[in-house]
Amino acid sequence: MSGRFPRVDALPKACGAERFAADQYPEGCLWAGAFRPGAAHARVLAVHTAEALALPGVLKVLTAADVPGANLQGIVHKDQPVLCGDVVRHAGDPVALVLAESREALERALGLLRADLEPLPAVFDPREAMRPGAPRVHAGREGGNVLMAAEIRKGDAARALAACPVVVRGTFETPRQAPAFLETECGVARRLPDGVLDMTVSTQSPFRDRFEVAQALGLDPLSVRVRAPYLGGGFGGKDGSTVQCLLALAALHADGRPVRMAWSREESFSAGYKRHPSILRCELGADRDGTLRALRCRMVLDTGAYAHLGGEVLELGMEHMAGPYRVPHILVRGFCVYTNNPVSGAMRGFGVAQATFCAERMMDRLAAKLGLDPLELRLKNVLGPGEENACGVRLTGSTEARACLTALRDHPFWASRREWAAQAPARTRRGVAVALAHNAMGYGGGLPDMAAAKVELTEEGRFRIYCAVSDMGQGNVGGHAAMAAQALNQPREELDIVLPDTERCHPSGSSAAGRTTYTFGNALLKACAAMADKVRARAALFLLCDDPSSLVLESGRVIWPDACKSVSLALMARFLPRDDRISVAEFAMPVAREVSGASRGFVLGFPHLLFAYSAHLARVELDELTGRVRVADYFAATDGGGVVLPQGFEQQIQGGAAQGLGLALMEDCASRDGRLLTPDLSTYLVPTALDLPEIGSLAVPSHESSGPGGLKGVGEVAMDAPLPAVASAVEQAAGIRLDAAPLTPERVLAALRRARKNT
Amino acid sequence: MTIRFTLNGRPVALDTDPGRRAVDILREDLGALSVKEGCGTGECGACSVLLDGELKLSCLLLAAQLEGREVVTCEGLGDQDAPHALQVAFAEHGAVQCGFCTPGMVLAAESLLRENPDPDREDVRRGLSGNLCRCTGYVKIVDAVQAAARERRGGRRKK
Amino acid sequence: MTRVLLPATLPELWEALAACPEAPLLAGGTDLLVRLRARRQRPEALVGLERLAELRTIRRQGRGLRIGALATHAMIARHPLVLRHAPVLARAVSEVGGPAIRNMGTLGGNLCTASPAGDSLPALAVLEARVELLSAGGTRLLPLSEFLLGPGRAALAPGEIVGAVRVPLSADFQVQHFEKAGRRAALAIAVVSLAVLARLEKGMVAEARLAVGSAAPTVLRCPEAEEFLRGRRLTLSALERAARAVRAAVRPIDDARASAGYRRQVAGNLLLRLADL
Repeated sequence: MSGRFPRVDALPKACGAERFAADQYPEGCLWAGAFRPGAAHARVLAVHTAEALALPGVLKVLTAADVPGANLQGIVHKDQPVLCGDVVRHAGDPVALVLAESREALERALGLLRADLEPLPAVFDPREAMRPGAPRVHAGREGGNVLMAAEIRKGDAARALAACPVVVRGTFETPRQAPAFLETECGVARRLPDGVLDMTVSTQSPFRDRFEVAQALGLDPLSVRVRAPYLGGGFGGKDGSTVQCLLALAALHADGRPVRMAWSREESFSAGYKRHPSILRCELGADRDGTLRALRCRMVLDTGAYAHLGGEVLELGMEHMAGPYRVPHILVRGFCVYTNNPVSGAMRGFGVAQATFCAERMMDRLAAKLGLDPLELRLKNVLGPGEENACGVRLTGSTEARACLTALRDHPFWASRREWAAQAPARTRRGVAVALAHNAMGYGGGLPDMAAAKVELTEEGRFRIYCAVSDMGQGNVGGHAAMAAQALNQPREELDIVLPDTERCHPSGSSAAGRTTYTFGNALLKACAAMADKVRARAALFLLCDDPSSLVLESGRVIWPDACKSVSLALMARFLPRDDRISVAEFAMPVAREVSGASRGFVLGFPHLLFAYSAHLARVELDELTGRVRVADYFAATDGGGVVLPQGFEQQIQGGAAQGLGLALMEDCASRDGRLLTPDLSTYLVPTALDLPEIGSLAVPSHESSGPGGLKGVGEVAMDAPLPAVASAVEQAAGIRLDAAPLTPERVLAALRRARKNT
Repeated sequence: MTIRFTLNGRPVALDTDPGRRAVDILREDLGALSVKEGCGTGECGACSVLLDGELKLSCLLLAAQLEGREVVTCEGLGDQDAPHALQVAFAEHGAVQCGFCTPGMVLAAESLLRENPDPDREDVRRGLSGNLCRCTGYVKIVDAVQAAARERRGGRRKK
Repeated sequence: MTRVLLPATLPELWEALAACPEAPLLAGGTDLLVRLRARRQRPEALVGLERLAELRTIRRQGRGLRIGALATHAMIARHPLVLRHAPVLARAVSEVGGPAIRNMGTLGGNLCTASPAGDSLPALAVLEARVELLSAGGTRLLPLSEFLLGPGRAALAPGEIVGAVRVPLSADFQVQHFEKAGRRAALAIAVVSLAVLARLEKGMVAEARLAVGSAAPTVLRCPEAEEFLRGRRLTLSALERAARAVRAAVRPIDDARASAGYRRQVAGNLLLRLADL
């Protein structure tokens, strides 16, 4: 039966049989929960725990004083306390951790906890936070509230802009988008009698978690074991410590009992990581024929109270500010700034979704000013193979952005755009538009993007694949199983699969950055090839064959066709020690060595060598009475390299586009004075099945020679183009420019009214 | 207090606080872990169950309300050895990504098909509109439900 | 431990209410349980109404319909009597939440929650529904406008429940319109909504009834606009002028979902949809 399904995880999940971290209820487990007082910036004078501790079923109430190590976590910058002792810096900061016998006792205890807080001056606007004299989010920090300032420079943008016959300008804002995975942050942990802290967590980064937990709590990393079952969604929000350090702390105080922690949806919104809100200011200059000459822009990101990956998100955003176009002169300045807002972090499209909104709307503006067709303007400037991108990197990998655009030009939605718009029903305006995006793959310069795959021939003669990168739903386990099955010439259902486990797998980095299948897949293919060679070599001993290359590995056995002999893997395995039945191989993603531009302030993650490309087409209807925007049809043409699993490819494109459309239409963690106005799923809106269109997907012919099966990562690139495509289609429909996302009915209606007044 | 009801065809007698949520007793006491909690406020559909055949949200039901009723969860529709046509269709048509919304989505689809055996795409979208999916963009879920509906109308493999 | 009482008959209900006068009443639970969760509250006792079969029925009564308070939105949306005699109500309740919420939430619950955004309320207002209140002492009828007092406040006396809603037949209104403007297409809370009944004679409005939701502390009828439309055709220019009267009548608030200004504008705009019917 399982052979029918492209993904090995699909049927167990469809039957409700897959066990997520959220489904772990070990015998006798305790319940842990954090007390978050809700002040945006305050000194913690006292945490009153006695009342809660007196409740039946409440075992412990821990505070910062109970944290044994540095009490600081953070992926690059260690600036986020596990439990805040002196100061809370945003409304989701925790000051106490409760251990209780039951869900009910935990709830009651959390309701009884109180903290004495002395409010501190706070800052919520990143532009204000950059001014001298602004309240400091991290007192005494060198650099004040600016977490990171960086610059990309190529040529002389100021001079080139001054010389351009045509210059367009714009300022854009994007909202704080929540990953809103269905499974909130959760996990279980237990300190075993031998001292090992055994954790099962919904995490994208099990190997890094181990170090974060160990460092924050003063433990030996070897004593921390992290396992990652299938995740109920991640999208970046589970890259980095969420429950990990709190859970580990709880387990250290649980006398060997297992502890479970699962954030409520409200807690996920207040304490979880979200997309950085951005403010982008941009000038783009061109010749009269539309040839791009110069770009100057400034990007400001609000990282909230802690760094998380803020600096790296900024770098990636800056790197993508020019779009996939030839621009000889660029100057991009970027600032990632601390505020007392909820914490921003990794999210699908990691800075690129923000940058693409600006870059693509600038192209539309230029096309309008020059009276050029927006698609033709893009075709005129789009980067091709071997060209140098705006950051000075020569594109030696597959670069089929042009083919993506051409596919849209040939699409009936584009050809019929004027007729379709003209047939709009009463009170409805229609518009059709395109947008193009590129999205880098991998961690980028300075951070080895590397994975190590292990394959084992088990004692029973089966092959076991150690999948060391989390599957947050994108299907990499299914993809890896398919690759291994092919490389080992075995039926897929005969493979044993081990999910990420720091004790059994080799370090392979996070499930992130469009690198998961590319990097781990390459390592896996190497490991499988080595395993196949080894198995043939050992079989040669059994078969008395002096040329292993004449042997064939097939399902469950090795055959020697010329001699009509074979040996079963099960028999062979009984004769080989375990070390000999294991094959490990690693792979590191190539990085850009040659960069012609100048850049300052970059630490990790810049620049990139490989990019995926995606051109999107949106048909949009706008209701004049309510301002509601409905995306009627959607189509994406993508260069993701070779397509290994067509269904998996489409899943990534449709899912990414859906989240991009959510960003375009409705998603926004609105806040006032650092408190979320959208604390739950009735106020923070994500699209339902009635809010999204049919999403067509085409993979343009492409082959990335460095990728497994010629593929590139496509997890992120579909996220980037929907917002500019929808905003552009709305402009086409009604002549209104909305430069702040999302395009809510209220913003659209207000713009319509302004437009009417002006005419 | 003892609460008696039928869970996936089997009688259950559970001694518990009747004010606990149905989702909690189903998951924590009875091991029906296909019932997921995504929000606790009736906004996501992950905790959907069929209660006397009607699609309901178990995060907004109390244990006491199950007394004498018949509860069906995704496990009750089928398992990996004998899957329900919808479960097969979801797996086959790529409607499953992270899979956390899937059990609730399958039950919503079952509820829809019992009322409307031949839904068009818009009908399917309406029928699933109370169940959020964050991974798929819904396109392949609609494909799967229509495929299962076709198969069911064809009268083959009814479970 | 929370006591959950589930009376099956009215006498059992009165007994339960007498025993636990403080206990919240639980109908569909889609609102009450969300509110209790937000307050981290576990009441000592709850009285659930779901087993009162006599309050679930929908039937003809005299010159109207009697819709039991425990009829769910889903039951009402597909009930032949409602579809024939009060389609505006069927339309309105079919826009509540999503399918599962419609299978749980009840008409009586929607009334007692008394949210300015309650989806059934504009439809009930134009239908000029009356609310049947039951208590151990007997039955009384209140017009909807007297039952709804303000956000979250209804004219329920202690020991009293909503037993049913009585809806006059409205089949002679050729125009039965409901539209909800939300921030998404399903699982949406009304940012503003409009229900309209209009009886036309020779193309002219003989009688019009308009009610706006989410634009005032309770659902709001708009007598000025109704009066203006009488004797006119439903042309865009007539509707524009009526819309102005609607905008003048509403008293919306700003909240996370929309500004007062947007609500005021759209409250009028929704009326213009009638030009396209």
